[in-house]
Amino acid sequence: MNAFGKSQPVTRREDARFLTGRGRYTADIAPAGALAAAFVRAPVAHGDIASLDLEAARGMPGVVLAMAAADAEAAGATLGMGFTVTSNSDGSKGAAPERPFLARGRVRFVGEPLAVIVAETREQALDAVEAATVEIDERPVHMDLAPGGPALHAEAPDNVGYDFGLGDRAATQAALEAAAHRVTLRVVDNRIASNPMETRACWAEMEGDRLHVCYGGQGVWSLKGELVSLLGLDESRVRVTTPDVGGGFGTKAMNYPEYFCVALAALRLGRPVAWMADRGEGMLTDNAGRDLVSEVELGFDADHRITAYRVDTLNNLGAYNSNFGQLIQSHLFSRVLTGTYDIRTAWMRSRGIYTNTTQTDAYRGAGRPEAIFALERIMDRAARVLGVDPWELRRKNFIAEAAFPYRTVADETYDVGAFGRVLDRAEAASGRAGFAARRRESAARGRLRGLGLSYYIESILGAPSEGVTIEFLEEGARIYVGTQSNGQGHETVFAQFLADQTGIPADRIEVVQGDSDRIASGGGTGGSRSVTVQGNATLKVAREAIAALGAFLSDGGAPAAFDGERFRMDGTNEAPTVLEAVARAREAGRADLARVAGEARLPARSFPNGAHVAEVEVDPETGEIRVERYTVVDDFGNLINPLLAEGQVHGGIAQGLGQVLWEQIAHDADGQLLSASFMDYAMPRASDLPFIGFGTEPVPSTANALGMKGCGEAGTVGAMAALVNAVEDALWDRGVRDLSPPLTPARVWKALGEADDGRFAAQ
Amino acid sequence: MYDFEFERPRSIADAVKALKTEEAIAFSGGQTLMPTMKQRLAMPSKVVSLTAIEEMRGVRQDGSGIWIGGATTHATVARETKDSYPALSSLAARIGDPAVRARGTIGGSVANNDPSACYPAGVLASRGVIVTDRREIPADDFFEGMFMTALEEGEIVTAVKVEVPETAHYAKFIQPASRFPLTAVFVAKYGDGVRVAVTGASESGVFRWTEAEDALSGDWSADAVDGLSAPDGSDMISDLHGTGDYRAHLVKVMTKRAVAAC
Repeated sequence: MNAFGKSQPVTRREDARFLTGRGRYTADIAPAGALAAAFVRAPVAHGDIASLDLEAARGMPGVVLAMAAADAEAAGATLGMGFTVTSNSDGSKGAAPERPFLARGRVRFVGEPLAVIVAETREQALDAVEAATVEIDERPVHMDLAPGGPALHAEAPDNVGYDFGLGDRAATQAALEAAAHRVTLRVVDNRIASNPMETRACWAEMEGDRLHVCYGGQGVWSLKGELVSLLGLDESRVRVTTPDVGGGFGTKAMNYPEYFCVALAALRLGRPVAWMADRGEGMLTDNAGRDLVSEVELGFDADHRITAYRVDTLNNLGAYNSNFGQLIQSHLFSRVLTGTYDIRTAWMRSRGIYTNTTQTDAYRGAGRPEAIFALERIMDRAARVLGVDPWELRRKNFIAEAAFPYRTVADETYDVGAFGRVLDRAEAASGRAGFAARRRESAARGRLRGLGLSYYIESILGAPSEGVTIEFLEEGARIYVGTQSNGQGHETVFAQFLADQTGIPADRIEVVQGDSDRIASGGGTGGSRSVTVQGNATLKVAREAIAALGAFLSDGGAPAAFDGERFRMDGTNEAPTVLEAVARAREAGRADLARVAGEARLPARSFPNGAHVAEVEVDPETGEIRVERYTVVDDFGNLINPLLAEGQVHGGIAQGLGQVLWEQIAHDADGQLLSASFMDYAMPRASDLPFIGFGTEPVPSTANALGMKGCGEAGTVGAMAALVNAVEDALWDRGVRDLSPPLTPARVWKALGEADDGRFAAQ
Repeated sequence: MYDFEFERPRSIADAVKALKTEEAIAFSGGQTLMPTMKQRLAMPSKVVSLTAIEEMRGVRQDGSGIWIGGATTHATVARETKDSYPALSSLAARIGDPAVRARGTIGGSVANNDPSACYPAGVLASRGVIVTDRREIPADDFFEGMFMTALEEGEIVTAVKVEVPETAHYAKFIQPASRFPLTAVFVAKYGDGVRVAVTGASESGVFRWTEAEDALSGDWSADAVDGLSAPDGSDMISDLHGTGDYRAHLVKVMTKRAVAAC
């Protein structure tokens, strides 16, 4: 038992609802008679709008509104959406070109919204979209992930949106020059789509003179704030809600043009308006993930200790700055730049490049998977080049247990860690000792077997503060949370957590989320923050509530002690439960004790870490990779619900393996999307994935009262490098050196052929 | 989806009549047509469903061969040919997913002649004959190219007949996204020769790899395939999922594996 709870593997209470079709998602609960919105979108990737004629569309059956940028402005809207810029290494700010929610004058990616059309039915709206005529004077496109080329924005003539630096450039250069060994690697981190099962959707209606927007998001407050600012409404006139959400992954944390168009249409028409992306529309317009290339270099001394690390990254921003587009591969990447290693000298440069593609932004892990992928790829490569065991190279360079708290070059303070212990456990659990025999057995069947390790660390991000309100009812309780479940199981975990604190059975606790009227502020879901920050706040407020009830019961004497189920008081055999105590308080005119609210801030970040071990078999004739074994040992600190934590790891690994094995957003040279449906965009399926051996080696965090570390993104952070390292292990002796993901059969076969050609040429 | 008329005739004769409407289209299982219509890429005036035509359904022995009604689903073919023609049963059982197999039909598949569909390879290798409302067309003459067949306007595939070989196997290498064949090979060994039909690879749709057929007719072994050069990659499909050279290479690998699995 942990100090703060029982850590039980409770199954998810929301699953019965989700699995039997009783989940209620945004589109399920659109108001009766809602009008349908559809969008006229840019047909080409770059050009000036010569004309946009909506007259014919306005005359189509059922059409009630057709609105382009000028119409939205005439209606009083501000078009420029918000975003955060990063700092350049010279101290200036990143470029801030306008991102209008309806294109003004120029289009910069295929699918950019030009106009919204609202009609009585969706079919009528789509018919009207076809009736709209748009002429674009095309400009040359910039598709290369490189500075220069045709400029997208006057604010960034060389297409460089930011030029971020962290660390000591000169010292790193000097250390590399002085190093006994230098290893370099180019690490491609492919562009992918999150493809949530539920596509993006929203609807808007008027509640009296108030605007209510319902959407599938990761927190209601950011959208509320931007609706207020762009539509010029008073804060008291806007309500945002979020019902069940079918997957967010960072993609749904951000605001999108459609939400403002739909809200503005409802305001203007005084009627409800709904929109839901179809799959193709989602693939065209959802923020993409990753899409960067890093040149990385490690310097070692003669004893193979790392003396310097250098990273030079080019990251694709897409056509505009999305909400956090500039932060992901700069600031967030840098949080775990040096991973779990004792690296005192490092320099990281990251440049964001505008291209004529959809924006990129956070995708499960948001910068940390990218940083760990680069580092763990080059650690493995270094071991091969130096001719040493990759596990031993890591052990040699780990931050020692005695060195914590450890301040990194990125100015993060790792509180605790036992990397060597976790790695030992993973070595045993993965059956590494039997690998040589398994490899021989594979070879006898003409297959190439490889084993790959990745040791990741991630940093819990997102807002460190969270609020909570606890309401004690006659038969149970209600907890209002500032996070937002996207399907992770928050209802179960938050109820379970409060049950552990109050003794009220979890099935009598209702979790309330996703309504800006009922919850004034919150941080939403993202950055692996939810359970830790919400738990932290709930722990504090529940303890305050219990203390207040204890004081009330004692009536001025020594406060009644709470044993987790009942209050115990001196001099009486009475032992009321929390709800019984609350009932007495109500009778005594102390109803205030039945509703308690508060906020807590995490004193510092926590750092989940662990070892992923992948074992693959490659068919050299076809290039096909099968993942034969997969083992994870994580240090998540204390866990509220180990079952749900393991589920998060499974899903995270599926997304990590999906990225490096199959997934790829592809465009042609003109910027048209080639991977525009599931016929061409390969998602991982259950049958592609191995059974996952999962274990934990907890070292409770000292950075919060719960000893927790968070786990939502950890699976993805660790999986990518483990898999690619396993493939490199399998193919190294065949001379394969370029393993840019996704490692599809066709690419692996080609790499094998080129390696063979190279060898023949050498002979 | 655009608006359209919908008809569900009970006989072949009524279906033929219904299809005389301008821009009418036959709808068998709809597994290709429905997504196409949903994306507004097809605008038929009338959709004529063939699923209620009893005389187009079922699987039965037909002399030394098997008769399969055009409106028979993949799931039914998989189940009904398990003993009589295991290789064809296995092909049907591996198309798409359970939902696709419950709706998609053999007639729809051969009439569409998707260059990456499974059935064209199975039917071509099995010395198939395509039966329509007006004639019988040998498979060798039926598949004319990517999405092209010998079917005339309004002609319906009412049945497919195949000869059961001594032994056969369908080796499929899937495209990771669609799970259609990236390249798949159906080999069928008859007493008087071997057929090797390839799908997924060629710009011209399903084709017979005659060099392999000749080699295997003389020497029925995977080694016989080893000695051949892969077909010319320049005629093969090149896309996101593989170059023509890769597909040509897979033709050889899959042929060898199909023979080895027989």
